[in-house]
Amino acid sequence: MGASVNKTTETAFEPLLQFDMEMEDFLSDWHHCDHVSSYLARMISHNRTDPVRHSNFFSSALNELLEVSFRGGTTDGKIGLSIYRQGATERVQLSFPCPPGQARFYREAVSKTRESDAQARYLDAISNDLAPSRESVLLDLAVNYDARLRLDEDAAPAITLIVDLPLEGMVS
Amino acid sequence: MIAAGLPQRFKVGFDPNSQIFSLAGTIRPRSIDEIAESIHALREAIDAVRGVLYIDVKRLIQMNNTAFQAFIRVALDACRERSDLRLVIVTSSVVSWTTRMFRHLSTIEPQISVEVYDSMFYPGQDYFEDTSFIPILRAQTKLTWRHERTILPRHGMRPGIAVADICCGIGDFAVLAQKEFQPARIVALDHSKPSLAYARKVAAEFGVTGIEYTYGDASEMLLEDNQFDFVACRHSVQVFNQPELLLKELYRIVKPGGRVYITNEKNSHCLGEPRAQSIQWTYNELARLLSNFEIDVEFGPKSRRYLADTGFDDILVESFMVTNLDGDPQDFADIIAGWEKMFADMAMRHGEAPEFIERFRQGFRDHIFAALHPKGYAGWPIWAASGRKPL
Repeated sequence: MGASVNKTTETAFEPLLQFDMEMEDFLSDWHHCDHVSSYLARMISHNRTDPVRHSNFFSSALNELLEVSFRGGTTDGKIGLSIYRQGATERVQLSFPCPPGQARFYREAVSKTRESDAQARYLDAISNDLAPSRESVLLDLAVNYDARLRLDEDAAPAITLIVDLPLEGMVS
Repeated sequence: MIAAGLPQRFKVGFDPNSQIFSLAGTIRPRSIDEIAESIHALREAIDAVRGVLYIDVKRLIQMNNTAFQAFIRVALDACRERSDLRLVIVTSSVVSWTTRMFRHLSTIEPQISVEVYDSMFYPGQDYFEDTSFIPILRAQTKLTWRHERTILPRHGMRPGIAVADICCGIGDFAVLAQKEFQPARIVALDHSKPSLAYARKVAAEFGVTGIEYTYGDASEMLLEDNQFDFVACRHSVQVFNQPELLLKELYRIVKPGGRVYITNEKNSHCLGEPRAQSIQWTYNELARLLSNFEIDVEFGPKSRRYLADTGFDDILVESFMVTNLDGDPQDFADIIAGWEKMFADMAMRHGEAPEFIERFRQGFRDHIFAALHPKGYAGWPIWAASGRKPL
């Protein structure tokens, strides 16, 4: 499937791992989201205070991000996933190619996660929608995982979601 | 690592007698269509109940937003259609995300409440979690380890394997096992947060690293299937009111060909000389008293039957006697003094008469007397048993 795990670096956050995969391969099977999130969560949680529960919690959040990229990504290029750590927080950096014009959608969706009415928007979405939108999934991360999200568009047409997850403090 | 077309790894159940609808496992569908049958099952469960429906998600390991929204849609719609309906969603404190996600439902819909299943994983748990009991637990492991370090290899313990210590308590057995047998991986699980905090503190103080301590309910673990070569569960099957459920979980997490090792007591066989009769009476009464708390301290010899009924083969059973001659007799006496205090407290809370409690305590004191007597003998019998999960 052309996946690889390599070391990478980023200021302030300690690099834990990097995972790359051809987008075409990734999109060939929905179960990749589940398998990749479970596998990587277990790898990065091994030295957390409660590795089993941290892994479960982290996998839950990472799977949602991967599902966003699965539903919104295109087959050209690679999906890149980097995980970093700083104290009690893991940073997930997820890059994937998406159709032209989608960057604006993600920019707005990410922006809404940081607004004061994020919880109200989330409750409204789960109260009324039949199925989750990508916007409500990002709100879920902000509300239920205390995630802080931002968007990097430097590598257009790919976008990069940068998500800080302070799960260690919530698990322990 | 990744295989296409895997079936969904979850179970849905409905018990009409207790009005409990349960969701367990990992539910991460791509579309609602994949879980249409389960959604329909929830609708049918709601139609079948009067009053309260409990939705048990304690064993829900993963659920994506697609499934979450599909299930809560049914719950919310039902509440809007039926004013008589109350839904109680039961989450587990072990699975962090479930409580955080489901808690919103009580805000959205007053007919829904969310309960977190937390402290009482089995009857009588609070007695064993009293921190004053920690020195007793340490002394118990110190004495049993003298026997178990030679017993364990016969039951499959060896270097380089993956080990789980379920109901690890204060974690001392995991530390001893790691030092003696150098497993490749060791996970130690317990439902007591104070015990785990103590375990982590002791491990850090002694520079012991690599033990993965985790909080969890032994009868509903987050650990995946077929992970461990050796699973230990010491002195704990006997305190669970549903030992078959716990054994089923131990069976689930051990690899095919791996072994589950359990130790349990038969307290009525505790003995001592001199003052044998008083000692015998007290331990017979102890077994009776604890049965009121659904604790079976006579479990030891039943191990073979329970392991066989769970599906294990190649079952090995042996017993050993911890005695006052295992090192310093004072260690043995300290254990019994701890028991006297804890079990007398339980007798009081059970409403036993003062005269009974005094006689009950005297048996423990006589056991201590026998242990410390220069020509005395005092014993505490333990059954060690293991079974192999068939290949």
